[in-house]
Amino acid sequence: MADKFVFIMFAALAVIGALGVITRSNIVHGLILLVFTFLNVAGIFLLTQAYFLAVIQVLVYAGAILVLFAFVVMFLNLREFQQLEQLHPKQKWVVLVLAPLMLAEFIFVVTGATYASVGGGLSPEVIAERGGNVQVLGEVLFGEMLLPFEIASLILLVGMVGAILLAHKEGGSENRLREWGEGEEPTSAFVEQEV
Amino acid sequence: MQIPVEWYLVLSAFLFVIGATGVLVRRNLFIVLFSIELMMNAVNLNLVAFSRLHENLIGQNFVLFTMTVAAAEAAVGLAILTSLFRNRKTLMVDTFDLMKG
Repeated sequence: MADKFVFIMFAALAVIGALGVITRSNIVHGLILLVFTFLNVAGIFLLTQAYFLAVIQVLVYAGAILVLFAFVVMFLNLREFQQLEQLHPKQKWVVLVLAPLMLAEFIFVVTGATYASVGGGLSPEVIAERGGNVQVLGEVLFGEMLLPFEIASLILLVGMVGAILLAHKEGGSENRLREWGEGEEPTSAFVEQEV
Repeated sequence: MQIPVEWYLVLSAFLFVIGATGVLVRRNLFIVLFSIELMMNAVNLNLVAFSRLHENLIGQNFVLFTMTVAAAEAAVGLAILTSLFRNRKTLMVDTFDLMKG
């Protein structure tokens, strides 16, 4: 019973956070609410005995990916966008009708079906006996999931190279780091203008 | 006591629809990227729930791969975003209509 109560609490907070993400006009607020949502999802992972994934969720999602977002938010000057219209003028009405419809459809289908367990044999008791969640997950990852694991490393490599290529500024010599002589350090207004 | 798998699916449906709504209604490219992350998280929730139901760990492994793709997507998305911002001085997605017929 306590499990279900905690689940509902995490779920409600996650949904509230998610609603906040898409309604705030301030991007930094949206980002922090997204972190909040991800932490709640990590709590649900813990509740489902996916301990390793809960840690990875906090480290990789809430930690690495969103800090990357935070960096980009901080070094672009985005304050002026808050005054602009935040929603698509016509599209929003269509979506506001279709989104609840889609949600109702999802819930109808999901609650209508019955779910029978295949019974793969790795119940929490068995996992605990065989050395815990991380041990068994690692055995599967480096056993039957080895090929996808290697392909994932390739995806990360391509993503990294792609990100460097795309964000790289075109043009040659004028983009080299500029050197400043004695007594001509740049003012903050000049830096702002350069960026 | 186990939480019924339907609960996970309903929560995931909520998060996914909220994410889809964010992608479709918001003009700010940052919020669109946030919403995509939200949708990926909704899918992860389903995978974990079914991994628990079926008592194997393939689902949880798959979540690791989803996170890999999400990380690569965030990096490439942010790179595109910065170069768009550098060239167009705006982040509102409906102003990027160069390829519109």
